[in-house]
Amino acid sequence: MSNALFLTLLTGLQLGAIYMLIALGLTLIFGTLGVVNFAHGALFMLGAYLGVIIAGEVGFLLAILLVPPLLFLIGILLERGIIKNFYDRPHTDQILVTFGIALVVQELLKWIFGANNIPFPTPEWGSGVVMLHEYLPFLEGFVVYPKWRLILVLVSLLTVVALFVLLQFTRFGLVVRAGMRDAEILRFLGINIERRFAIVFGLGAGIAGIAGLFGGPVTQVYPGIGMAYLVPSFLVVVIGGMGSVPGAVIASLLIGMALAFSAEYSAIQQIIIYLIAVVVLLVRPRGLLGKKGVLE
Amino acid sequence: MIHERETGAVRGELVPVGIFAAIALTMPFWFPLIGGYSGLDTKILIFVIFVLGFDLLLGFTGYLSFGHAAFFGTSAYTTGLMLLHYSSEIIPAMLMSILVTFVLALLIGLLLTKRTGIYFAILTLAFASMLYRAALSIFSDFTGGDNGLTGLQSPTLFGEQLHGSSVFILVALFAIVGFWIALRIARSPFGLMLRAIKSNQERLAYTGVDVSLYKLWGFIVSGLFGGIAGSLMVIYEPYVATHFLHWTMSGEVVIMSVIGGVGTLIGPMIGAAFMMYFENVASAWIGEQWLLVLGLLFVLIVMYLPGGFVDGARRLRAWIRHRRSGRDAQTPAEKDTHG
Repeated sequence: MSNALFLTLLTGLQLGAIYMLIALGLTLIFGTLGVVNFAHGALFMLGAYLGVIIAGEVGFLLAILLVPPLLFLIGILLERGIIKNFYDRPHTDQILVTFGIALVVQELLKWIFGANNIPFPTPEWGSGVVMLHEYLPFLEGFVVYPKWRLILVLVSLLTVVALFVLLQFTRFGLVVRAGMRDAEILRFLGINIERRFAIVFGLGAGIAGIAGLFGGPVTQVYPGIGMAYLVPSFLVVVIGGMGSVPGAVIASLLIGMALAFSAEYSAIQQIIIYLIAVVVLLVRPRGLLGKKGVLE
Repeated sequence: MIHERETGAVRGELVPVGIFAAIALTMPFWFPLIGGYSGLDTKILIFVIFVLGFDLLLGFTGYLSFGHAAFFGTSAYTTGLMLLHYSSEIIPAMLMSILVTFVLALLIGLLLTKRTGIYFAILTLAFASMLYRAALSIFSDFTGGDNGLTGLQSPTLFGEQLHGSSVFILVALFAIVGFWIALRIARSPFGLMLRAIKSNQERLAYTGVDVSLYKLWGFIVSGLFGGIAGSLMVIYEPYVATHFLHWTMSGEVVIMSVIGGVGTLIGPMIGAAFMMYFENVASAWIGEQWLLVLGLLFVLIVMYLPGGFVDGARRLRAWIRHRRSGRDAQTPAEKDTHG
């Protein structure tokens, strides 16, 4: 394999990683709760801001322990406080209220921290570059890659695996998957679906927190990143198939690769995601792994 | 008999359009008295046109578009480019803008109106984002990139330069005609179809109606209102800002419609006026945080008063009437108005 191709693939993986993490939460929440969460970008942004502050005060390792659980908590509070009341209301109302929440979070962060980018330094152990040619014998000559970006890829893959295990091999996962199929029947079976809804929302928010914490040093931290990352993440969910977790993973990799391979033509790179989405929607309206009949 | 009914309908439109015209045309006289600067009234009326079209889609058809900036912005750029490269006359510029908006709405509509509401909201947002990105990258040679389109000559109509008050009258005329058309649509069989789509489109389809055709036309008409508003914006201020295409612009019309009262024509117009006025007045004493206050207000209204200001006024009136008439005068009809 030539060096250039390998590096482009790696960059594709890295670019797709953040979208993957945000899209996972989106598709999880949509699949189980049926809610399109326009506030998900805001949760990601909250993760990045909390990451900057906590990492700056007590170090990055503690931030890893604190930020995702904090976002989990915020997610649960949001679901119990606001989203819960919208399950029986039209989809447009759900979208409107989550959009409103996104706006409030964005303006709140702008008010407290200002509109400018806050530098988010990578921790000592994650800075610098990795000499890839030392580990991968098929590479020729001298190949380096920023360490933090490799860590980001690793963290996203670990998150995907953890989520897969949780959904596939635990009782909680079984119930959630059943809920994605048919929440009504599940309720008839006497399962406390309300509590699990809250946990799923929290889980989605927690994953957004991971995305914000590990992605923050790469994406910059300013009040616009929420919306800037929400739109492509939505497209990832649509391309992958609404409510499909494996679909979101595949679509984010696809998008990441497209971004990496179009990097030489920067004008095209700006809109390549949208072009892919249009093509997929024309050819396969339900998305790559979307279930038949789900919002087709 | 048909003739009689028609005159009745015309009279039914004449009164609201007349009242609106009276309020709109006298704005330059009373608006400065309540703290509005001259020029803000023009902007309010431009957004009234924009929001009327938006509400024909959301309030009547039930489709939430998060990409209406696409029409506003594209039309604004078209008008700007026409003023820059063709002539300063506004008639060809506006006609071209309307044509471009129509084609854009047709293309997006064909692709999206067959979709459910959720897809529609996401994908309209995505399309508008694509146009925004494209304007800043691929088309930056034409659009001026981040700086927006600058250096436009001041617009003229039949050789006469358009200034503050003549632009205001032009915009007011468009707003009045726009309101009249929206009213006609709302009361027409076409409007009835749109409302039927909102309440249950499957059932409508079973009766043999080509639902997607009505949705497509509803979407196009809605987009054209946005296009005309965008074109007028550039005539009012000969400069095209990149944020005309940005999602915040789409968000603004969403907020205006919802706080005013989706599904009525009067509500979104009040919402537009309120938001522009609030921005102007409130930013004087709370600065940039006016948007935060507005966001909170928006969330509260979505949660507790889904009908917006119009619904609030109706409930207040019912409550006052209820208080005045006392306990024993409560009739079932009155109870109804509480719900």
